[in-house]
Amino acid sequence: MSIGRQANRRTEGSGAFVVETSRLRKRFGDRVAVDDVDLRVPRGSAFGYLGPNGAGKTTLIRMLLGLTGATSGTMHLLGRPVPAERTAALARVGAIVEEPRFHGHLTGRENLTVIAAAREPEAHDRIEGALTRAGLSQRADELVKRYSLGMRQRLGVARSLLADPELLILDEPTNGLDPAGMHEFRDMIRGFVAEGRTVLLSSHLLDEVEKICDAVAIVDRGRVVMQGSIADLARGGEQTILIATSDEDRALTLLTESRAVASAVAEAEGIRVRLRPDVEAEPAADDIGRRLVLGGLAIRRFEPARASLEQRFLEITSRLEEAA
Amino acid sequence: MNTTTATAELPRTHSRYPRRPRLVSAEVLKLRKRRGLVLATFALTVLPMIVAYIVLVILHATEPAKHGPAGGLENFSGSMYVLTQLGVVAAILLGATAGAGDLRSGVFRELVITGRSRFALFAARVPAGLGLAVAAVWAGFVVTAVASTVLAGSLEPPGAGLLVDSAAWLALVVGLALVLALGVSSAVGSRGTTIGVLVGWQLVLTPFLLQMGTLGSLRELLPAAATERLAPSALFDGSPTVPMSVSVAIAVLAAWTLVPLAVGAWRTWARDA
Repeated sequence: MSIGRQANRRTEGSGAFVVETSRLRKRFGDRVAVDDVDLRVPRGSAFGYLGPNGAGKTTLIRMLLGLTGATSGTMHLLGRPVPAERTAALARVGAIVEEPRFHGHLTGRENLTVIAAAREPEAHDRIEGALTRAGLSQRADELVKRYSLGMRQRLGVARSLLADPELLILDEPTNGLDPAGMHEFRDMIRGFVAEGRTVLLSSHLLDEVEKICDAVAIVDRGRVVMQGSIADLARGGEQTILIATSDEDRALTLLTESRAVASAVAEAEGIRVRLRPDVEAEPAADDIGRRLVLGGLAIRRFEPARASLEQRFLEITSRLEEAA
Repeated sequence: MNTTTATAELPRTHSRYPRRPRLVSAEVLKLRKRRGLVLATFALTVLPMIVAYIVLVILHATEPAKHGPAGGLENFSGSMYVLTQLGVVAAILLGATAGAGDLRSGVFRELVITGRSRFALFAARVPAGLGLAVAAVWAGFVVTAVASTVLAGSLEPPGAGLLVDSAAWLALVVGLALVLALGVSSAVGSRGTTIGVLVGWQLVLTPFLLQMGTLGSLRELLPAAATERLAPSALFDGSPTVPMSVSVAIAVLAAWTLVPLAVGAWRTWARDA
């Protein structure tokens, strides 16, 4: 049996967001782990919840899943308020929180049977499909205590598929995986999204989030400091142009004369030109190009340098550090 | 159209899922697949009975004048005492494992994520643990009952009524130990601590407290005093150590059953997973 999502399957909620939190807060004594978080995860997307270790990512996920209570604020999963309608909401949610845990003395298949028993009866029918999807069919009858970390992660995925989930919540799912395993995991997640499922991926690995996700929220010290699509986020950063010419020294002189240029630095791949934040990018680029040509230089390269998510992340978090 | 095709085209119904509660079946699966636990349980219940009667048969065969037949009411009574004590230890092992197993392995968190009620997760442990514990002591009881009847020789064998009463009483004592262990381990979250505390309570502290006459009627609060009061009269010689009415004994046992279960259920509901 295939675990692929059926096209005509009824969905629990038809809202635009599968996760919505409002002023969500979790306090441990004096320490605020999650600080008035307003989060909206669009349906049918791969959404990254990105932040450094200790930023409060896992605590937020644990609250969403009912593993720990919120101090204040409201949460909705698949359009249902939690914890009030937690059972109905979680029926269509699969999750891997931190390292997936199992009964080591049971086989992979038996571990899935234990979890299926806690779900709707049809979950038992999904066991074989989930094992196949996770690539564990051949090893399903081995004791889990003999599984490698990678196999446990796969079994965690298989377990989360027993819900036939509309929403998959994955907390640092590639921890401990080798590069090939990470690559495979990324493909699996994109496959889930292609089936119409939503994936909320919590990670501190910027590169991973950038490769997998459509949208992202950046969290730091318990607060969501920015959220939007990856493209929007990258666009919101510094405007930079990468230029290569026939005479680098002459080009640097001409560039520093332009009022649109904040800085120009020679690097291995060319001159990285940072524009002033108050100028329009296109007219500024036109002006710079004109100056270089009129200055008698041949232009070999002239392209906007897209800020990576990592650059934006560092920009945002360092700005916060300065403010603190 | 062949049979396979016809079956495949039947509309899906829930009737093909097991009628017994699936969570209870899952709990039984978790317990019975622990090879060490199952071996220890049967080593405490069936094995001692087999060994005891083999020894009695050998003694009778080698020195019939000094050692009577292996069966009979007296040997049944003696073996029931041993089976009760060891059965309680087996029940503590099972109860402590059933209560803390999911927490210790981290699977409790994964079960909570399914959205299933935490009370349901806790409640499923009770019939699963009881089923295995009672099955184990009854297996030992069958050995005792058969041996004491078949090997009675010239001695009076235990009657059918006594056998039925003894089996029911054994289930009561073992069941009580199981729910106590289940409740405590679900509350403290530690199998080892639960086993240590309850075995010490059951085998060391309780006999000591029962013999302390200065405690007077306070001893009625001890579960062992209550179970002793409800034991079949023909099973043990003499009157109960702590005299009390049947209704008080039942009330004491009800409290020792309900309080640990309530505490375990509350802790399962309230703890961070």
